[in-house]
Amino acid sequence: MKTENKKIKKKSGKTLQTAREAGYFAKKMLKNALQAQEEGRPIGWSMVTWWQGELIARAIGVELVFPENYGAFCAATGGAEKHLEISDSEGYPTTLCGYSRNSIGYAKLLSDNNFVPYEGAPGGGLAKPKFFLAAGVACDARYKWFQALKRYFTEAPVWTIDLPMPGTKEFFMKGNKELSLKYIVNHLKDYVAFLENLLGTKLDYDRLDENVDQAFKTLALAHEVDVLRRAVPSPMVGADFWSIMIPHLYLPDDPESYEFYEKVYAEVKQRVDNKIGAIPNEKYRLMFAELPPWHSLGFFGELAERFGMAIVIESWNYHAILPIPEEEFEGVTDPLEKVAMLTYYKWTEYNKVAVEYDVDPGFFMAAYFQFAKDYKTDGLLAHPLMSCRPATYTLLHTKNTLENKLKVPGVVIDGDIIDLRVFNEKEAFSKMEAFVETMDHYREERKKAGIAW
Amino acid sequence: MKDVNKKTGLARAKDIYDHRNKRARELKAEGKKIVGYFCCFPPVEIMTALDFLPIRLLGDMDEPITVADGYLPTVMCIFYRSTFDLGMKGRFNFIDGFIGSHACDAAERTSYIWSNYIKTPCNFFLDLPHVDKGEAVNYFKVQLNYLKETLEGLAGKKLGIEPLKEAISLHNKQRKLVRELYYLRKPDPPLINGSEVLQVIISIMMIPVEEGNELLQEVIDEVKTRRDIPDKKIGRLLIWGSLIDNIKFTDLIESSGLNIIVEDTATGTRPFWHDIEETEDPLVGVARHYLQEVKCPRTFAETDTSYREDLENRYSYLKDFAKYWKINGVFGNIIRNCDIHGYEVPAVKDYLESLGLPVLIIEQDYSTASLEPLRTRFQAFSETIG
Repeated sequence: MKTENKKIKKKSGKTLQTAREAGYFAKKMLKNALQAQEEGRPIGWSMVTWWQGELIARAIGVELVFPENYGAFCAATGGAEKHLEISDSEGYPTTLCGYSRNSIGYAKLLSDNNFVPYEGAPGGGLAKPKFFLAAGVACDARYKWFQALKRYFTEAPVWTIDLPMPGTKEFFMKGNKELSLKYIVNHLKDYVAFLENLLGTKLDYDRLDENVDQAFKTLALAHEVDVLRRAVPSPMVGADFWSIMIPHLYLPDDPESYEFYEKVYAEVKQRVDNKIGAIPNEKYRLMFAELPPWHSLGFFGELAERFGMAIVIESWNYHAILPIPEEEFEGVTDPLEKVAMLTYYKWTEYNKVAVEYDVDPGFFMAAYFQFAKDYKTDGLLAHPLMSCRPATYTLLHTKNTLENKLKVPGVVIDGDIIDLRVFNEKEAFSKMEAFVETMDHYREERKKAGIAW
Repeated sequence: MKDVNKKTGLARAKDIYDHRNKRARELKAEGKKIVGYFCCFPPVEIMTALDFLPIRLLGDMDEPITVADGYLPTVMCIFYRSTFDLGMKGRFNFIDGFIGSHACDAAERTSYIWSNYIKTPCNFFLDLPHVDKGEAVNYFKVQLNYLKETLEGLAGKKLGIEPLKEAISLHNKQRKLVRELYYLRKPDPPLINGSEVLQVIISIMMIPVEEGNELLQEVIDEVKTRRDIPDKKIGRLLIWGSLIDNIKFTDLIESSGLNIIVEDTATGTRPFWHDIEETEDPLVGVARHYLQEVKCPRTFAETDTSYREDLENRYSYLKDFAKYWKINGVFGNIIRNCDIHGYEVPAVKDYLESLGLPVLIIEQDYSTASLEPLRTRFQAFSETIG
């Protein structure tokens, strides 16, 4: 097995050149928003709504920034602590989402400073929003957080984009999919009316249609990169993904994102074609679940060096959507309907897998069963997060059922996305060392059970 | 012949509260099917109309969480961890149907996980929109229809419009009686204390609606004429926030210089404060009621143009409560890791303090073992009111 990087950078664990270049997109979003503020163009603070809200907002001319992404940015650059302390002193419970606490603290500072980002704010700071785009999907924080921010931006309305989240069995009940899509489309129409009223301008549906097509194109290419990652040895690792996900998750409608993914694809393909592994001496192929400890990403590089562990695939929800069969689009011309399909299909795409393995929910969980097979994984590294708790609610359940049904074991390493005090690196390494034996044991178990890898 | 040994009124409520699954088990033995549900959102009217006994699935602050540790992470809502823990220990092993709901993240994820491990002949996950306007009501009505169809499968019969209307009427009567009971807390001191009310509310969530209505009427009649009314305390307390389902907690509060007067919680006013509108298609009224009238911060209220107006839109009912019941202090109860209420804390404080009401916020661990240290905080709070 050839290896391209003899020594893994302990700072980030990134192995792809394109991953090192991806920070451009986070900075671009922040810079564009500050520029929009200077030019008097509208700025929205947005949740990831899995594209439905963002595509429409940008098509009508809103510059979006993502406080979630800003939270990760602040955590990685050491700027979060100050914001967290302010959030605490404002009376918000310390158990809330770390990203939200970061942005609450920042919002308070922005509000106190007459809505000019304070001197030294990470990345230049987030510009003042005209409105908030909240999301009903994935977790409660995604709308409660922005509702709370209204305290600091009294005139900025909050719009919550909802998404049906049926159980797996209920998803398959006759007519539910069609009725859910109808709900989403009508809900999006209300959202368009809200934006048009707020901004005093009309949505250009042709532009939206172009942007939606561009988004599908980018996401399809991002998915192709995911497919390349099934190769053994793994051509890229989790630390690479956490960087390259920014363009497809936040800016899939930006042609630059597509151009970027062409480069990512070429780089990853070159490795696959030449059987080049992202880490030297890959011995164990791991799935990683939920967000990583941004402040300690070097941990993954250490895992590679010490144990030959590669994170070959990670948290389903941040990945591009699986391709939607073309026949599903037959007769669909309304871009709002395409947007609705994009988001709804993303959140229900693994329901068939959930049925196959008799597990629930289809989202957050069932994907790991498919990942385990497709990526020939030896284990699951579960990372419950103190301050992104809902994302971790299904982790133990996922770990238990993967062990029972696919003989793929899991290990739990407690940590956080923001608060570095929660992550005990020494203890984590001890657990991972012990996990090596567990994975070896389960390799034998899989063999005995006739499981293919 | 009247059974002279049969407990009535408050004594009966206490008995049901103390043995809260007893009646359900008795009815189960007689052939009735029991359906357990999460939070305030699965419509009990549909369950009643199909001749099921709906019972609210609650946790137990007295029971250490042990089994759930292997399934639900410690960082999640302790109430739902406790409820799941009880489920895994067989506390609800008599139920025929489980109705989970998308009340909040914890309820939602626990619902899914529950159905993986705690098997019942029937289970359903009720998705509930986070917004309450426009198409959301129609979407929710569709989900209610799926719930109805699922329960019809368990019942082995179709649900007609008339039985549903009758069940709505029975539950509306219950809501009216609960409000009547709450109005008895207007005098100072109130005619009934917080622990007694909690026993009644928990009880009616565990027995058939007809029996619950009979119990409520008995309690109202008894309380109206009772002589042993609660002592007058310094504080007339509104409780807002996460639910309370154990009287050791309310006893502690009320022994700290505070009369509990009204509870804006999921085991207080929220399930009972509004009647279901009678509509031609009864599911329309049911959908509107649960989505728009059950006041829980899990449902997003559209923001208006200013923060003050937003607060007014979200909390003006608390002002009405405070005014009617002459409230002089508010306890914001947050079960640790409850995001739904946690995000509200500064806003609800802003609003209530603007009304001149002192507010005490406590995050607690949903365990009677950790209650006692809270006593000094309630005592200090009552002194600030005084």
